[in-house]
Amino acid sequence: MSAPRLGNPNLGLGVGLRTTHFRHILETNPAVDWFEIISENFMDSQGRPRHVLEQIAAKYPVVMHGVSLSIGSTDPLDFEYLRKLRDLARVVKPKWISDHLCWTGVASRNTHDLLPIPYNRQTLKHVIERVRIVSDFLERPLVLENPSTYVTFRHSTMDEWTFMSEMAEEADCGLLLDVNNVYVSSFNHDMDPLEFVENLPHRRIVQFHLAGHSNYTTHLIDTHDSRVIDPVWELYRLAHRLTGGVSTLLEWDASIPPFEVVHDEVKKAKHYMTEKLPGYRESVTTFDEGGREKAPHPLHHVVAEVE
Amino acid sequence: MSDPNPDLNTVQRWFQAVISHPDGVAGGIDAEAAQALMKLRRSELERLIRRSKNLSAEERLGIYANAYYARLLECLRESFPVLCKALGRELFDEFAFDYLQRFPSTSYTLSRLGDRFADFLEETRPDKGEGTVGWPDFLIDVARLEWLIEQVFDGPGVEGQGLLTAEMLGRMDAATFGGARIVPVVCLRLLAFKYPVNAYYTAARRTKEGEEAPEMPEAGAQYLALTRREFVVRRIELSAGQHALLETLMAGRTVNEAIAAAAERWTGDEAGFAAAVREWFRDGAAAGFFWRIEA
Repeated sequence: MSAPRLGNPNLGLGVGLRTTHFRHILETNPAVDWFEIISENFMDSQGRPRHVLEQIAAKYPVVMHGVSLSIGSTDPLDFEYLRKLRDLARVVKPKWISDHLCWTGVASRNTHDLLPIPYNRQTLKHVIERVRIVSDFLERPLVLENPSTYVTFRHSTMDEWTFMSEMAEEADCGLLLDVNNVYVSSFNHDMDPLEFVENLPHRRIVQFHLAGHSNYTTHLIDTHDSRVIDPVWELYRLAHRLTGGVSTLLEWDASIPPFEVVHDEVKKAKHYMTEKLPGYRESVTTFDEGGREKAPHPLHHVVAEVE
Repeated sequence: MSDPNPDLNTVQRWFQAVISHPDGVAGGIDAEAAQALMKLRRSELERLIRRSKNLSAEERLGIYANAYYARLLECLRESFPVLCKALGRELFDEFAFDYLQRFPSTSYTLSRLGDRFADFLEETRPDKGEGTVGWPDFLIDVARLEWLIEQVFDGPGVEGQGLLTAEMLGRMDAATFGGARIVPVVCLRLLAFKYPVNAYYTAARRTKEGEEAPEMPEAGAQYLALTRREFVVRRIELSAGQHALLETLMAGRTVNEAIAAAAERWTGDEAGFAAAVREWFRDGAAAGFFWRIEA
């Protein structure tokens, strides 16, 4: 049996590193436990993003989180991309490297979206083979996250959690449990989020993600643009109990507030780490009816600074 | 429907073709590209994709289709904020929407998404081949400036390195200096515009959300250098002679050859030119254009 978290440490409560917070972090050295970076924002950077990252990585534990590995795609693995990912890891020395259980494009294209896979034996075999190759190449077990999804395929033959469990065991990889994604996908697919969380291999969960989403009443979209809602916190309480606690990170990618607001949001997790204390009751569910429907994240794009 | 249990590759190619179709899911399913992969009509979609309690299969697939263009258009608006301001969001999105169909992303990073946008605007300009200078040139100039600013911002730089100073250049004897090659910094880029877009860029960036864009300037040549100091992109306006001088130096030619190229663009007297050349080298060094000199 594998060690809890694949032997990785529980880093505590972290925040996704975003360019809008660079100056604040460098100037104030906030007491955040760790940072997660979007790998693609730094792989090619020879400018300020890379310069800032190296300063932050010297002070804080860092985890690399990617959005373009496309582990489920039927295109060949992109070894040029993997080489750059490995090169970045050699500089940043992340605690682990993660991406998503999805595909992002096929026929050499990238939609820059986290697209859904059918959960069946054919896909499972394909993904396991690729996870093994990537883990060997990166010289460490890959960690994969459950994405928010908006469709399910009729030719899926297993639950998402069954697929993730078998994948993790067979490919010997870690899991990044995005608690908000469990909630979003469960709502969208009429599933029970508790059943999802309860049936994962908890010792293989290396990290949690938390985020806000948009509620269109008929469906939810993973927009990372708001606070975490109460039902997601309650799911987090369950996941925390079942895993014994793992590194927890808040993602906030659109309408990003000041750093302190993001940091305070993830610190609410402390209220859900015990069975006895009542949960923190501030967040509310808001409905985004009408207007333009927002795009699900990830959107990873760095804006230039110019005088 | 051709196959109720299609292989993964077929599903992915079909899915991508449908969600990236310019007419949305409805158009995408019936389009030739998707039909060639799977003979699946709109009415049969639920044989491949399950409906949910609240949404039909087509509505659910539509979430991905809406997100595909929304995400990429948002990224292009961020890469070309001044062009977006100049055109207005609606017209910008029309150009960008056409561009994304012609040049869908093939990179793992969104920072490459706008690489061919200025060229696309040039190729598709309505007055192509007429040789006139007008509105399309203004837009293309703005697009080229914004794209190059992004490249300089996150490309290679010389932060932390010692550069040539005006004093160092001044200490060289004239003969040695004339035959030397000055290597510019790796982040130096030169631009020649048909419109004075530098001031427009500054003014447009100062406008607040919802405010009108500045008025389009009159046509007129403008030369600009971009470089980076302390990880911030700097814009330096150049004269025609200065631009020719730097362009020749960047091509690896000697100082004397660069001065000769600049002289061809000089319209004043000879004494004035000599003073101008001294000033250009002094200003260039002060701006951090010169990395080292090969005598």
